[in-house]
Amino acid sequence: MKKILSVLLVALLAASMVFAGGGKEKEAAVDDGKITLNIYWWGNQIRNDVTQKAIDLYMSENPDIVIKAEFADWSGYWDRLSATAAGGNMPDIVQMDYSYLNQYQQNGLLADLNPFFEDGTIDTSKIPQSIIESGSIDGHCYALSLGSNAPMMVYDPAVLEAAGLTMPDQLTVEELYDMAEVIYEKTGVSTYYDAGINMMQVIARTNGSHLFDELAVGDETSMTKHWNYVKWFADAPSAISPDLLSEKNPDIVETKPIADGTTWNDFSFSNQYIAIVNAAGRPLTITMYPTTDDAVSQPMYLKPSQFFSIAETSKHKAEAAAFIDWFTNSVEANEILMGERGIPINTDVATAIKPLVDANSQAIFDYIDKVGTIATPIDAPDPAGKGEIEAIGKTTAEELRYGYLTAEEATADFVSRAESILASN
Amino acid sequence: MANKVPKTVILRKQQKTFAQRLNSQGVAGYVFTALFIVGFLAFMIIPMAMSFGFAFTKYNILSPPQFNGLDNFKQMFTNDPVFWQSFKATMYYVVFSVPMRLIMALLIALLLVKKSKASGLYRALFYLPSIVGSSVAIAILWKRMFASDGVVNSLLQAVGIDCNIAWLGRTDTAIWTLIILAVWQFGSSMLIFLSGLKQIPVALYEVADVEGAGPFTRFFKITLPMLTPTVFFNLINQLINGFMAFTQSYIITQGKPRNSTLFYTVYMYQNSFTYNKMGYGCAMAWFMILIVGTLTLILFKTQNKWVYYES
Repeated sequence: MKKILSVLLVALLAASMVFAGGGKEKEAAVDDGKITLNIYWWGNQIRNDVTQKAIDLYMSENPDIVIKAEFADWSGYWDRLSATAAGGNMPDIVQMDYSYLNQYQQNGLLADLNPFFEDGTIDTSKIPQSIIESGSIDGHCYALSLGSNAPMMVYDPAVLEAAGLTMPDQLTVEELYDMAEVIYEKTGVSTYYDAGINMMQVIARTNGSHLFDELAVGDETSMTKHWNYVKWFADAPSAISPDLLSEKNPDIVETKPIADGTTWNDFSFSNQYIAIVNAAGRPLTITMYPTTDDAVSQPMYLKPSQFFSIAETSKHKAEAAAFIDWFTNSVEANEILMGERGIPINTDVATAIKPLVDANSQAIFDYIDKVGTIATPIDAPDPAGKGEIEAIGKTTAEELRYGYLTAEEATADFVSRAESILASN
Repeated sequence: MANKVPKTVILRKQQKTFAQRLNSQGVAGYVFTALFIVGFLAFMIIPMAMSFGFAFTKYNILSPPQFNGLDNFKQMFTNDPVFWQSFKATMYYVVFSVPMRLIMALLIALLLVKKSKASGLYRALFYLPSIVGSSVAIAILWKRMFASDGVVNSLLQAVGIDCNIAWLGRTDTAIWTLIILAVWQFGSSMLIFLSGLKQIPVALYEVADVEGAGPFTRFFKITLPMLTPTVFFNLINQLINGFMAFTQSYIITQGKPRNSTLFYTVYMYQNSFTYNKMGYGCAMAWFMILIVGTLTLILFKTQNKWVYYES
């Protein structure tokens, strides 16, 4: 009898432990008529801090709303978001990226924001139409940009000065090559030429076309040009050696070859500028991605750095939209956020914030302004399979730089593999 | 009427056995293991069964999986050069790192088996790399050590070798930095070897002394044969560990250069989570299970040829 008793006791204890967690959650959900919104983003510590501060302010102004914030790093974010999406319990407001927008929209996971624009819940009067379009698919906006971003080249002005050169407003690839040779002769500093997907898109855009449109049909026009440029730069004496390039992986801000002065230039997006300057520990300057001598169209574009989207499964879409409106259109919110997610899309807000930010952030504000005056519309949101094509592009670039592939072989190989990935998705 | 009597008897008997069963030691065991069994089912068996199912589907996580038969496997074997690159890199890593790690572990164990005051300290020190070795911090440390301006090159220059190699950037050396890292983490095998060494009867060595055998004879005629069960155990353990290596490749090299260090697990992870090709990732996982299972089976089949059990 004693034994049975002790066994039952253990079972009871175990059961109570298992169910205790569930019970508590249920209690919390009742919350005396308040509406609970869940919000989820990826980012760094600064972003987590300022966003939480802004959310606290919003909650103090709107006592009937409780906002529960969660955040993660980039890759953890997407792992978890896809899991919540599959489980039908996506957070009400999610941060969205241009490269994932298509996938999530196609699977019917994102709410259409147009009704909220029309009924004024989200005020779009001070937001440029191109920004709204950047989050739109077939005329319906599914994601509202939180800030603008543009591809950029960063360079070390001291090296340029030592070589007796000045940077034109927008380089061409051919000018970059000549510049690289002079710099190498005079200072011994190497040059990095981006072979990745951003440069591919830029080169396609100088041809007046779009990378993924070409790849989808196996068109080699822009890629032939791109891989020949990569080869040209790889064979130049000024080029950073493939060994060093692979070691100082330019994909990682902290180890970028410009950080320790191995190269005088690097490529990225403008919202990475501050991080790169911090990693390098010396002043760097922003300039535009190079175009080409025979460009038929301006390749530079503005890109939404990230969006807010509302989950289709959310029970409080209107409240979520109201929060997004406050987040984008109010000066008080952006005085806390300080353009950390990119230059505010509301032009009035951007003007109000600009004098408050530090010199590096102002350089980005100015750069975005400058790009804004010449930018052409961005490519359509990336298709599924972009991640894999990007990875294949990186390996192809390595094969070519190490001399295992010619430019022609690289083109044929890359285009055919990309085409088959796009076809299978 | 005649039938009813035995029925009640049976019923009573069953009640009795039920009460007995509840009272027996076995029940307590089941109740105590219930939590583990639930966890094992929920977090191991069910996910494994699901992954087996997903291996035959096209599944992007966001929308329901669609059955596509053997397409994933067809793609893997015929149309994915990166798959074979990752397979080759992993094989290369396992073939070199596992035997080297075992030899290292055995050598150090032989040194430490002699009792001395500091042997406990030495054991702890030699075991340390195994605890911290697969951590991200060590991965980053390794990356710095083998950088072209890192410690390894400086040391080589200090002894007069003019060395300016980007170890992590060369196809022929990058994988070796990972192998060396693996060899350095010999601690757990070392501990098992140590306990194995202590099991060898001292009488055997005494006889060897009487017969006048030297240290080499003693090692190859007594120590090694007596240790073969431990070697066998360690070999299988480390083989499986080797195939599961992930952090080193993911953090230190990210598969660079030219996918020469792209481990199978990393490519599997990329497919599953970065490219959202969960079905393909699951198919890769099951192919790996097949490979590891086959190798383990071969080892087990050959064990009566070289493993010596005393009894």
